[in-house]
Amino acid sequence: MKIKNLLSYLPSFIFCGFVFVIMILLFVLPKEEFSAQEKKKLADFPELSVEKIMNAEFQSGLDTYMSDHIPARNFWAGLSSDYELAVGRNGSKGIYLGSDNYLFPKPAETGENLMKNAGYIKEYADDSDIPVYMTVVPSSGYINSSKLPMNHEPYNDGEIIDKFAASLGKNVTFVNVCKDFRKKADSRQLYYKTDHHWTSAGAFEAYTLLGKTMGYQPVGEDQFKKDKVGDFYGTSYSKSALWHMPPDTIELWKNKSQKEGSVKVEISDGSDKKTLDGYFSMEQLKNDDKYPVFLDGNHSLVTATNDNAEKGTLIVVKDSYAHAFVPFLSQNYHKIIMADMRYYKKDISALAEKENADGILFLYSLDNLAADNNLAYLF
Amino acid sequence: MVFSSLIFLFLFLPVVLAIYYITPKRFRNFTLFIADLVFYAWGEPMLVILMLVSIVINYTAGILIGINREKKTAAKLIIILDVIINLGLLGFFKYAGFIGETINFVLPFVNIPVIEVALPIGISFYTFQTMSYTIDVYRNTVKVQKNIITFGTYVSLFPQLIAGPIVRYEDVAQQLMDRKESLAQFTDGVKVFLVGLSKKILLANVMGSLWDIVRAGGDNAGALGAWVGIIAYTFQIYFDFSGYSDMAIGLGKMFGFEFVKNFDYPYISKTITEFWRRWHISLGTWFREYVYIPLGGNRRGLGRQIINIGVVWFLTGLWHGASWNFIFWGLYFGIILMIEKIFLLKLLKKAPAAVGHIYSLILIVLGWVLFYFEDLGELAVFAGRLFGTCGFLPDTSIASQIISFIPLLIAAAVASTPLAAILYKKITSKPVLYFFDNAACIAAMLVCTAELVSSDYNPFLYFKF
Repeated sequence: MKIKNLLSYLPSFIFCGFVFVIMILLFVLPKEEFSAQEKKKLADFPELSVEKIMNAEFQSGLDTYMSDHIPARNFWAGLSSDYELAVGRNGSKGIYLGSDNYLFPKPAETGENLMKNAGYIKEYADDSDIPVYMTVVPSSGYINSSKLPMNHEPYNDGEIIDKFAASLGKNVTFVNVCKDFRKKADSRQLYYKTDHHWTSAGAFEAYTLLGKTMGYQPVGEDQFKKDKVGDFYGTSYSKSALWHMPPDTIELWKNKSQKEGSVKVEISDGSDKKTLDGYFSMEQLKNDDKYPVFLDGNHSLVTATNDNAEKGTLIVVKDSYAHAFVPFLSQNYHKIIMADMRYYKKDISALAEKENADGILFLYSLDNLAADNNLAYLF
Repeated sequence: MVFSSLIFLFLFLPVVLAIYYITPKRFRNFTLFIADLVFYAWGEPMLVILMLVSIVINYTAGILIGINREKKTAAKLIIILDVIINLGLLGFFKYAGFIGETINFVLPFVNIPVIEVALPIGISFYTFQTMSYTIDVYRNTVKVQKNIITFGTYVSLFPQLIAGPIVRYEDVAQQLMDRKESLAQFTDGVKVFLVGLSKKILLANVMGSLWDIVRAGGDNAGALGAWVGIIAYTFQIYFDFSGYSDMAIGLGKMFGFEFVKNFDYPYISKTITEFWRRWHISLGTWFREYVYIPLGGNRRGLGRQIINIGVVWFLTGLWHGASWNFIFWGLYFGIILMIEKIFLLKLLKKAPAAVGHIYSLILIVLGWVLFYFEDLGELAVFAGRLFGTCGFLPDTSIASQIISFIPLLIAAAVASTPLAAILYKKITSKPVLYFFDNAACIAAMLVCTAELVSSDYNPFLYFKF
């Protein structure tokens, strides 16, 4: 064959090479069982039988198997994100790429569910014998609005939180952090760039703000020694699949005067129990997603006791934003019991009574609060 | 199975290509036939039996007509019976529910039970294909196919099995029995296939998600948003359908077949008559050959022609789906075509080209409104939105989403015209052409695969319990 002909037929060779190589790799490459990015178990090869073929279960199983185990899956996801960014579809994966390498989850749907949750909390507070406090953490996109891409869906967290707070009634003491956060955001990083959570600095600001209302004297920033941990790739990073974004650094703020053994953290998920000495679960730092270093991530019930704190017992009903926050609050409360309503399905008033609690704090991010449908379990 | 899936691209296609080209020439139809059955049975293991039944019936009908060629009445009887069986199967599987509901609506006291049957994929396509064979055998324009494998391969040929083009037996009879695959044809096939794949994945799917956003936005979309949405749907349906036809034509070439062109830049038409010469050409040809001309076409005076057009367009609408909106859609075009025949065509010829383009595009886009909404209530609501029942501008959330689609809307508009094809033909330097071809193929494969994989990529935020 002449070289000229060979060149004009090259697309055939490229195409066949491509589909054959991927097919062969699919069968030859060792299979991973778990995807760290997607935090899910990957599909097994489907069971082959006449019955499963006739009801098409085998076929759909093979579809899932192929999509789970396609070679270089992350490479493809990344290429797709870069392509979509290039054609102007910033945010197509639910995450905006803003300036200064910020990744922002798109504004969450805040429909009726949010007001329904307000109703539950109001009802709870109206019946409660102990003071009820609440704060809602606005989204990173709202607070860092100057860093959003030019075209983005509107973030209305300020208005929504005002409306939410107004419907809680007089028995909930609500602390609105929006104004202070927006002011502070220019001078310090309150949220991670690759994750939706607030940073230790963000949580510390909220801790300082809540002190006046809840009646504690916040520990000053200079009392803390900040240990830095790098290479944190958060969930916004995984979702965006923009693999070339730089990682975040996590700061672990430790009270300089905290004595060895004075802080104990007990974690319980039903019958599963474990303890940490201190607020940080260092083993979580092995993973890309390092946010669970704070109080070991999501658990049903977590109790933090600090022998040096003055105030009594506080119950915190919360989502994961509280994990970075409670280590600060624990400087002032002897005992803090965190309940995660997604997993803790028992009555909170009974818990408060049993623990003889002095107060209850509801701490949620707006996005989670709008989607959460577990607050009905409060009573 | 659909072409734009990982399983087709990276399992079915390479395996079938390898086996096909290893097979000695005379057994290649058999290999292809088995591949067709696997392809069809992938999603519908039971309904493959229906297709096999259809193959056997029409194969037998062809043989019987051949034998009884001299006895005119016998042959006539067989073809009538065959057409009744074909349309009966199509009618039962596609229209039983619709007919039942319609009867119950018109005659409420009858109250017949409405049968729910799963629509066998591609039945509208393969029924029309088999009928093109038996009718042409009856007319003695094609030879009887004595080999059932060859006939089965024709009916079930996987490239065009589930979404066309509707290949007439006449057009591929020779290729079925004796075809010479070549590397040049294969290379052509790869290029056409990748063009189709890109149309489907990079344009149709994206336009589809814009259309979804607009519909989900409801009244918040405003008139402007509704127009953008229906334009996005206009692009979606074109790139989806023509992309699928391109993939079919490309795959056909890889296996040595040449199918007829199915789309010819329909959105650049200056009249609706022209649009229908450029849109789904194989379906138009089928109706012309087997309905319009047998009914007398335009040879029996204007009055009869108008009736014929009405019949053809009622059937064209009905063919697209078992729902009234499709019939309205068909009749809508039937009426426009009649008006054009009577006087408008002459006027449009004299008018500046822009007038014709705008006139055609508006009617085409409004036609897709009829085509999309099977629920006539929803149709009315959406049509209202187009004409300002809920204000003009979309809200900020929808507006920002629409803005992010603007570059691809422009790309879709350009890709609807022959501009790229014209520029491509202008490349005279061979090295540039080779470079462009290969670069474009690689880019298309990479980006399409990335988009396919990432549509299944769903990182979970919370995973415990």
